[in-house]
Amino acid sequence: MVDVLLKDIRKSFGSMEVLHGISIEIARGEFVSLLGPSGCGKTTLLRIIAGLEGVSQGSVEIAGQDVTRLPPEKRDIAMMFQSYALLPHLSVAENVRFPLRMRGIGSREEQAERVRAALETVHLSAFAERRPRQLSGGQQQRVALARAIVSNPKVLLLDEPLSNLDARLREDMQVELIEMHKRLGLTTVFVTHDQEEALSLSDRIVLIQKGRVEQEGTPSDIYARPATHFASTFLGTANLVAAEIEGHGENAAARLADGQVLPLAGADAQPGPAMLAIRQEDVTLLAAGSVEGALRARVRTRVYLGARSRYVVELSDKELRVLAPNDSVFEGGEDVMLKIDPARIRILPAKET
Amino acid sequence: MSDRTENLVLVLPGLLLLALAFLVPIGQMLVLSVEGENGFTLAHFSRFLTDSYYLGVLWRTIRLSIVITAICAAIGFPFAYIMAHVGPRIRLWLVLLVILPLMTSVVVRTFGWMVLLGRSGLVPDILRDLGLAGRNFSLMHTEAAIVIGMVQVLLPFMTLSILGILTRLDPRLEEAARTMGCSFLKTIRTVVLPLALPGIVAGSLLVFTLSASSFVTPNLLGGSRIQMLATSIYRQVTQTLDWPFAAAQATILFVGVLLILIPYARLTGARNG
Repeated sequence: MVDVLLKDIRKSFGSMEVLHGISIEIARGEFVSLLGPSGCGKTTLLRIIAGLEGVSQGSVEIAGQDVTRLPPEKRDIAMMFQSYALLPHLSVAENVRFPLRMRGIGSREEQAERVRAALETVHLSAFAERRPRQLSGGQQQRVALARAIVSNPKVLLLDEPLSNLDARLREDMQVELIEMHKRLGLTTVFVTHDQEEALSLSDRIVLIQKGRVEQEGTPSDIYARPATHFASTFLGTANLVAAEIEGHGENAAARLADGQVLPLAGADAQPGPAMLAIRQEDVTLLAAGSVEGALRARVRTRVYLGARSRYVVELSDKELRVLAPNDSVFEGGEDVMLKIDPARIRILPAKET
Repeated sequence: MSDRTENLVLVLPGLLLLALAFLVPIGQMLVLSVEGENGFTLAHFSRFLTDSYYLGVLWRTIRLSIVITAICAAIGFPFAYIMAHVGPRIRLWLVLLVILPLMTSVVVRTFGWMVLLGRSGLVPDILRDLGLAGRNFSLMHTEAAIVIGMVQVLLPFMTLSILGILTRLDPRLEEAARTMGCSFLKTIRTVVLPLALPGIVAGSLLVFTLSASSFVTPNLLGGSRIQMLATSIYRQVTQTLDWPFAAAQATILFVGVLLILIPYARLTGARNG
């Protein structure tokens, strides 16, 4: 059962096209993240699903019904805004009741009951009579969430709802979002620029870059097998190293610009120029010396992160970022060997069109 | 010198000016209004309050001021809403358009209306051609003329008061209302209007006070037959030379406006405070 179907969505503001033909299918009960850097068009896409923006071309279907020309109030959706958009002249309970009242859902008693249940879900029952501005940012955010789920919409749209919260609250809210999604099973579209948020919350990630779908898949899939340079650098910090692939299969190896050779696990390696995507946490730092299959490099900077350190190392003329545990520590200027698990190196085309 | 005394010294010239230019004349007016040939008297007030002509003038002043305020709000709110939703360049032009009447002299502007509203003026002509009015129809020296002339001058006070509030509203609030099932008009009614209320109240206070005490426009457009309080006071001062009676009328205007404004301001203040 498909709940949201976007077909070849194009959108122009004036003469500038910001979405260049996006097609996405979202199944009932799925939690899908639209992930991308700011300005990639992900929020515009969400607003198009909500009906707050029209499309220049293409169609939007919600639960099998073509809603492309319908205004937002006629679509069975609920949206949560980055700024929460709570109505300041209404109490918390009135805010949560608002969508029920406006859509004419249920009698007065039923509405009160649903408001009570929604506020309980977000642990705010004690604050029902307060005004929004009397609440903290985290509480306001939970009111906005309660207001979004109270009408039990076909599709729940979340526009960077966690980005205004501090780090701890954000983690708490992530857990709450996951649990709430499990319990209610609402089809959810979540817009974020935060890859960790997308990885931890979603059933599926749609990676968007410059108005196009760059890649889509489950979090583990998209993380382990990025298909493009952008996907590999945006999701988890990967280093891109240009190399020449030599040999086939088990014997495949990559020759770097300075002549050093890196063995590859090789099933999908084709001889010729390529781009290696190496994640910062897949590199092990070893003391200088001769280690088979390791690369010579020099540490430039170390940034202490508590449990781990982030290193910037120089490999040939390239800078690599490495995330390593603090059990053996190297300081700036030291020569080191880089050991990289061949199975975790991702081989991408040297050039992208 | 402490901060407090420093502040007091700084505010002193302004306070002195206010006291001299504002409080002293008002005090004098109050004294004059209760001054009789044999000292203290309330005769001027009782004369006003027992004469149906003057009560009619008072009632007309209040009634027209309310009508003018209501019309200004009815035009000013949609206008301000549009101004808040267009781009900054168009907004600048619209602001210019709305304050244009304030940039011309009140006399010139009012004479303009006299030309437009008089017997062979543009407005009666059009109404006549449409068959809506008779041959000798003229809008001059009617209450309608006063209302039209006043609305034009006072509209900017209402529009700009509301605009100030609307531009500070989060545009996401309206969008949120739309996603929660409100049509455009329902959004205006349930979200924008309640939130714009402080601006509407502030604008209404300005418009009401200004129209209740206005003189030039009612004088020229209303003529001698249709008197408002300010024109009546002017007549007492310049024609009958009855200054104490004029002072009593001015006091009644002053107190009357206060009596209406204070509860109104408090009522809405309590709702939004």
